[in-house]
Amino acid sequence: MTAGALSPDRILRELAELWVATGKDGHAETGAGVLRACAMTLIVLAEESEDMASLDETLAALMPEHPARTILVRLRGTGAALAERVYAQCWMPFGERRQICCERIEIAAPDASLADLPSVLAPLAAPDLPVVLWWRGARPIETPEFASLAAVAGKVILDSATLRDARAALAWLAGLAQGGVLLGDLSWTLLTRWREMLSGVFENREYQARLAEISNVVVAFAGDRPPVFACYMGAWVADALADAGVRAKLAWQPRPQLTGRALRVELTGGDFRVALERQDDRLTIQTGGLSHRTNLPQPTDYLLMREELGIVRRDAVFERTLASAARLAAALP
Amino acid sequence: MLEPMLPENPFQDPLRFEPRTPECAIVIFGASGDLAKRKLMPALYRLAYDRRLSAGFAVIGVSRTPLSDEQYREKMLAAVREFSEDTKIDDEVWGAFARGLFYVAGDAGDPALYGRLGQKLAEVEQARSTGGNVLFYLSLQPSQYAPAALGLGAAGLGKGNGWRRLVVEKPFGHDLASARELSAQIHQVFGESDVYRIDHYLGKETVQNILAVRFGNGIFEPLWNRRYVNHVQITGAESIGVEGRGAYYQEAGALADMIQNHLLQVMATIAMEPAASFRAASVRDERSKLLRSMRPMTAEEIRTNAVPGQYGPARVGGQDLPGFRQEPGVDPRSRTDTYAAATFFVENWRWAGVPFYLRTGKRLPKRVTEIAIQFNAAPLAIFDGEGGDRPPNLLILRIQPEEGISLKFLSKRPGAGIELRPVSMDFNYGSSFGERSPSAYETLLLDAIAGDATLYTRQDMVEASWAVVEPIQNAWREAAPDFPNYAAGTWGPAAADEMLARRGHAWRRP
Repeated sequence: MTAGALSPDRILRELAELWVATGKDGHAETGAGVLRACAMTLIVLAEESEDMASLDETLAALMPEHPARTILVRLRGTGAALAERVYAQCWMPFGERRQICCERIEIAAPDASLADLPSVLAPLAAPDLPVVLWWRGARPIETPEFASLAAVAGKVILDSATLRDARAALAWLAGLAQGGVLLGDLSWTLLTRWREMLSGVFENREYQARLAEISNVVVAFAGDRPPVFACYMGAWVADALADAGVRAKLAWQPRPQLTGRALRVELTGGDFRVALERQDDRLTIQTGGLSHRTNLPQPTDYLLMREELGIVRRDAVFERTLASAARLAAALP
Repeated sequence: MLEPMLPENPFQDPLRFEPRTPECAIVIFGASGDLAKRKLMPALYRLAYDRRLSAGFAVIGVSRTPLSDEQYREKMLAAVREFSEDTKIDDEVWGAFARGLFYVAGDAGDPALYGRLGQKLAEVEQARSTGGNVLFYLSLQPSQYAPAALGLGAAGLGKGNGWRRLVVEKPFGHDLASARELSAQIHQVFGESDVYRIDHYLGKETVQNILAVRFGNGIFEPLWNRRYVNHVQITGAESIGVEGRGAYYQEAGALADMIQNHLLQVMATIAMEPAASFRAASVRDERSKLLRSMRPMTAEEIRTNAVPGQYGPARVGGQDLPGFRQEPGVDPRSRTDTYAAATFFVENWRWAGVPFYLRTGKRLPKRVTEIAIQFNAAPLAIFDGEGGDRPPNLLILRIQPEEGISLKFLSKRPGAGIELRPVSMDFNYGSSFGERSPSAYETLLLDAIAGDATLYTRQDMVEASWAVVEPIQNAWREAAPDFPNYAAGTWGPAAADEMLARRGHAWRRP
């Protein structure tokens, strides 16, 4: 199948017609027309076998904050040739008269047409705005066309948790970053609120003054081997301490009582101790003898993507942590 | 003695983390008052909910009513439940926040209060690790500002282990002399850099966005001058009346309540020169310079360039609305202005000769705050049938209720021939950035805790705006206005329309 069968020009024409029709409908319904909102192009690659209704909900939830021309590519393994449809997704902000609409293009793509996709996607991107590619699932690492698809976008978002082997995943991601791909990894995004809470502890001058006492860092996780996000946490803490001139020993600790994405981080030295542990929707912070619990809802795809879409430039802290995590993972027995 | 230098927090990630705030105690004078219940406590709870406050945080409420800490916490929970518009009460978050709430009963004029307050502050500093930093917030009657500041000074609370700052609500004096006097009294205890005069308009996201639009883009600034701008209209309209504040309002009036502070600050933001950086001193220097470039009007100019108004009764939407003089607590012969409009000129190279029309009023047809910049027409009408009444190019910055920017320009109407039709290109702030905007008080409280005074008013700015407003205020006091001169639910007195018509302009109908 060639890309010629699916003409970007035709899709763009359909989009233009869609806006004329949507504008007329909006006028007829509210007398105020519609407002088209677009701040980026978001290309989403998802397996057709995924829960599309749930993905639709995530994308719809993202639009008010990150209005985008969304191109949803449904990867369907075998099957018919590239096919597409265009439609608008509108919502009425509370208390306002005018609907706000974003445009959606859906493309169904069999594996055989993956090589053709970049030539279709590139002209469909909204001009002069950032292009973000979100590839869901484990496939990117084993897809030869990944590089050409990634080249269409300014930023590529993946979730390394879906990749089977943490060590291989980190090595691959670090290689991409080194090659200049602007990356987002939802396994890193997952840690933001945790990291912020840990950072918050050291906003206190008393604790900040005791940084130099820290000699041990223990990262505890569920399972036998540290998952990618545990590697990230360990690498980030070790790098930050090194920046403050503190050389602490980093240890990994499998913990049977932890499950799923649970994680415990402990920084100790002498009688100084700071520990963070997540349980359900709460994060417990222990500093010295004090224990403080705070609200920390389990992040959904929506919350993680909401954060990642807000960053369309180099993230120096992530890139450095990724490189360190890959080194740490490579050194694991 | 200088504090020993501590290392920077190595765990910071400014790209992803919310800006950090230092530990501190906030002392709210007038803790049982309306402002504290409606605005301050909901804003502080929201900041706690969003994890924007440091763990070492406490609030000490000060008010005359005798209350225990526990009773104060219950009262504040009720206030947050009632007045938090978009924040749910999470029991655990509230519990942690409430443990940091304390109360001291006393009168701001009673020296003994400050001894008790000092003792409470010392206890709280220990128990909550507030680092000795204290933000005093005066949510009091203006007559108590100076006694409170002096009381703090006499008890030695103006200085301590950490920083000490004072937040003062408007009005900052009722004329130039009283503004100077208040400032001099406050300065006996707090240096100007530690005084935060709050004008909540400047904390609104869209007022801050004016700076972003002007100085973050290259396309607007070249047009932002007398060569291209015909005139500017700034409207701060309210549809409500005095809502039970009649007694207070009749002492202030629209000119002092809105134009002297909010609208002149907005005008300064629109018209100021680009600051060298987005640091507090640079931005405030430019705002101040702009306000000082406004020449006070002569008596003759006041007659033609300033219009007072007061609403009379009317039937609006099937409802009988009282006139101002019929409002509870208002003198039936009151000469207070509930509407004020004025034409100001800025005497600098950028704006010489460009009128800035400001208007504000109560019981106008709708609640709207916006700035409309009207550009000069194209120098030549080359299209047939255009006539002389082409709609102008307008850049409209809407502050409330629907924040956004619209650019109005002419376009060819589809079909044969050339017929021009005005079209609007709209940017809707809410739809492009769907995340919840923080309230003005959330923004301003966080800024004060962080020591960022960019959005606060400095004494020289207060004096400069009083210098412009005071002659008008005096002239209106001496005149015997024919009030009421506009009906509730209308756009103000006819004289305000005439003021613009004399220059060939007309008020927009927002």
